[in-house]
Amino acid sequence: MSERRPYVRPMPRDWWARWPFRHYTVRELSGVTIAIYAAVLLSGLVALLQGPAAWDAWRGWLASPASLVLHGALLIAMLWHVRTWFQILPKTMPKLILGGTPVPQRTITLIGTSVAVICSSALVAFVLWRPF
Amino acid sequence: MPHAPEKRSNAPIFWLLFGAGGTLSALFGVGLILVTGFLAPQGIGIGPDALSYENALAFTQNWLGKAAIWAVISLFFWHAAERLYLTLKDMHVFSDLGRRLLTYGVAAVVTVATAGLLLAIGF
Repeated sequence: MSERRPYVRPMPRDWWARWPFRHYTVRELSGVTIAIYAAVLLSGLVALLQGPAAWDAWRGWLASPASLVLHGALLIAMLWHVRTWFQILPKTMPKLILGGTPVPQRTITLIGTSVAVICSSALVAFVLWRPF
Repeated sequence: MPHAPEKRSNAPIFWLLFGAGGTLSALFGVGLILVTGFLAPQGIGIGPDALSYENALAFTQNWLGKAAIWAVISLFFWHAAERLYLTLKDMHVFSDLGRRLLTYGVAAVVTVATAGLLLAIGF
């Protein structure tokens, strides 16, 4: 009588920290920093409800070196998110076929990233040259 | 033999929120961080009273401002929730219920709390 002994591919528990999956884990965790930025905004909303004194304290913190460092790190993570998000886009969306030929993934990534640059630039421009 | 009613997955709901938050942040996130993290608090290109209590209150009391704030905060949290949930699952951290509460649970609480704050600030 023979016992069935199928091959089980070894899978270390920290596979997510090893190459090449580390890249994937960094990408996923860069998405988590987006919630940290949202939490900063949320704390401002709480301060606004508490009144002028609390709001000015929040503004004071926002101008502090600690806040600058935090926002610098958040900005780097956000730029990585923009880059990877539009790399994923052509892989998650239905295949786009124009004139009988599929649109290359690189083209879709380029268009998406360009739209993001336009949107963010427009937001900054709108704030700097407020038409109101 | 009659088929048992199919148990449908609730994953598409979370995927939709994840995708909406991911797209919104990819399009406007860099601009938002530049404005609220650097330009406005440091007074670069923007007057020092731009972030005054009166201006912030006026923006938040406007229904369009409310909608923007609610969308940004809640969708950003839903985006991070999905990514953190799947990463914790990969890392085998916590039970599945614990992971769901820590990620989707927090995002749901933040969504409701932000709406409550915006209503409390009034119109």
